[in-house]
Amino acid sequence: MHNVKRVHQSQAATQAKKERERSKITEYLALTNDVISRKKTNDWSKDAFDQTQRLLQLNPEFYTIWNYRRNIMLNGIFSQSTSEEINNLLSDELSMTMAALKAHPKVYWVWNHRRWCLENVPDGPVVNGQPSLQWRKTNWDRELAVVEKMLNADARNFLAWNYRRYVMASMPVQKPGIVELAYTTRKISASFSNFSAWHQRSKVFSSLWNTGQLDPVQSREEEFDLVHNALFTDPDDQSAWIYHRWLIGSGENQEQLRQEIAVIEELLAEQPDSKWCMESLVHYNRLLLKGGCSNSDELEQKCLDFLQKLKKIDSPRKSRYQEISAQIWGQADPQAV
Amino acid sequence: MGHQDALDREEMIGFVMSCWDDEAGGFGAHPDHDAHILATLSAIQVLVTQDALDMLDVDRVVKFILSLQQPSGVFAGDSFGEVDTRFLYIAVNALSLLGRLSELDVEKAVAYIRQCQNFDGGYGATAGAESHAAQVFVCVAALAILDRLDVVDQETLCWWLSERQLPSGGLNGRPEKLEDVCYSFWVLSSLSILNKITWIDSEKLTAFILSAQDLETGGIADRPGDMVDVFHTHFGVAGLSLLGYPGLVDLDPVYCMPASIIEAKGLKRKWKALPRRSE
Repeated sequence: MHNVKRVHQSQAATQAKKERERSKITEYLALTNDVISRKKTNDWSKDAFDQTQRLLQLNPEFYTIWNYRRNIMLNGIFSQSTSEEINNLLSDELSMTMAALKAHPKVYWVWNHRRWCLENVPDGPVVNGQPSLQWRKTNWDRELAVVEKMLNADARNFLAWNYRRYVMASMPVQKPGIVELAYTTRKISASFSNFSAWHQRSKVFSSLWNTGQLDPVQSREEEFDLVHNALFTDPDDQSAWIYHRWLIGSGENQEQLRQEIAVIEELLAEQPDSKWCMESLVHYNRLLLKGGCSNSDELEQKCLDFLQKLKKIDSPRKSRYQEISAQIWGQADPQAV
Repeated sequence: MGHQDALDREEMIGFVMSCWDDEAGGFGAHPDHDAHILATLSAIQVLVTQDALDMLDVDRVVKFILSLQQPSGVFAGDSFGEVDTRFLYIAVNALSLLGRLSELDVEKAVAYIRQCQNFDGGYGATAGAESHAAQVFVCVAALAILDRLDVVDQETLCWWLSERQLPSGGLNGRPEKLEDVCYSFWVLSSLSILNKITWIDSEKLTAFILSAQDLETGGIADRPGDMVDVFHTHFGVAGLSLLGYPGLVDLDPVYCMPASIIEAKGLKRKWKALPRRSE
């Protein structure tokens, strides 16, 4: 149970509530018994199919009934249907589960059922004597629109994001990566705090770079502008800081690393108590140190000073800052450890 | 909590066995429900805890579990094929409790987990998915059982995990989300397997979990003021045990079962909880 406020009711009130619910429970149990006994006798009829729908509307978590419903289609309905009828049935199925999804956006079984429906849409209709991909294309396109609706309702729903990646990868006609990049830009512009969208962006960029569709050097440069915008808007929000760390990576581009350190120092001057500025400066200066640099004593001292301050302003994580300090001391003077 | 007799042993075992799906060779969530890997692990865990594994047709259950591994290395939950790193952990956990881990294609399983690793050091439900503390737990614990923690980017992951603690003391599961008692277990277990449980403030977390209790009816909620349930009570108590809270038995963070049972089976991995306090 999540986000359900606690209410303590009197015994009489609880009793009255139970009375009111009793008839509903009786009805639900009778329906459950009916469907389960049909399942046991391999009843693949349309009647049984309709009964599963009634039951799933009451309880979408009942995974066995979703299984049974699919088995009725596989073992009963499909064999008596034309391809067109199967396509219509699966389209109806997708519409029916939309209502369940709106009411229960985090029930895995509903997402899972939609997946199965989409994967079973037949090829067709026949165009010029050949089965076309039109039905599949229509259903998958509609599915992408459904996921976008779900992400409009809750931009951090990780089931919806996972499902989105699955849909994008399965569509008979693939969307170019650049379109997905634009989608994450929209999501991030709506809220810099949406780490799910930043995460997706890291995956899309990796794929665009690996396939040679985007120039990694130039697009990275441009990307820093967007991230700076987020960091300066709310320096306490960790989403863009974590993403920034991905953009820097292991810091092999030292010039870029130094530029970014300068930008963060500028922000720190404005926000002298910013934990994320200091934490990031420690991390990035240590990358510089690892890469080898001339002013290492000065950088080590800088890191130690930040870590000292971090231990005070971010005390829950003081052990971590302590351990990093000890590592720096170890590097600076092996005798001191 | 040291009350293992609070529930009737025979009744419990009887219920578990009544959930057996003889057609599939696994357990369902309830009598007459289809076999699923989730309920199958729960059944094995209850039987192990009650020292009643002799009730189980081990060969058939092992066959059911192994049949769910996919070519990519991940596991499906049942024959309808939903895949998730949760199911991979469940398979590894169950096979190890049954002493049958040698039959698993370990290389493939580890390869899939590595595919799920993100730049923040964390893991998601499938390859490409956002890091989520509960998925981090399942991946890290599976790797711990398989003795393959070497593939974890421990420094980055522990940083990400330590940043799950919010000013209230509670932990969230992903950046910029609300705190929730259940993450006390997902995050803490991962930190304790990686020996970094001191990277968060244990006193503040203890206070947060206790504040989510219902002092009238008992039990723990997702956060203070909400309705309590068994799920959050379980993970709240599990978190408190790892934090060294007085009066609780030790919990094994890899299996989420009493440490003494796992140790007796010779399955204990390296992990470190906070020392048990006396008051």
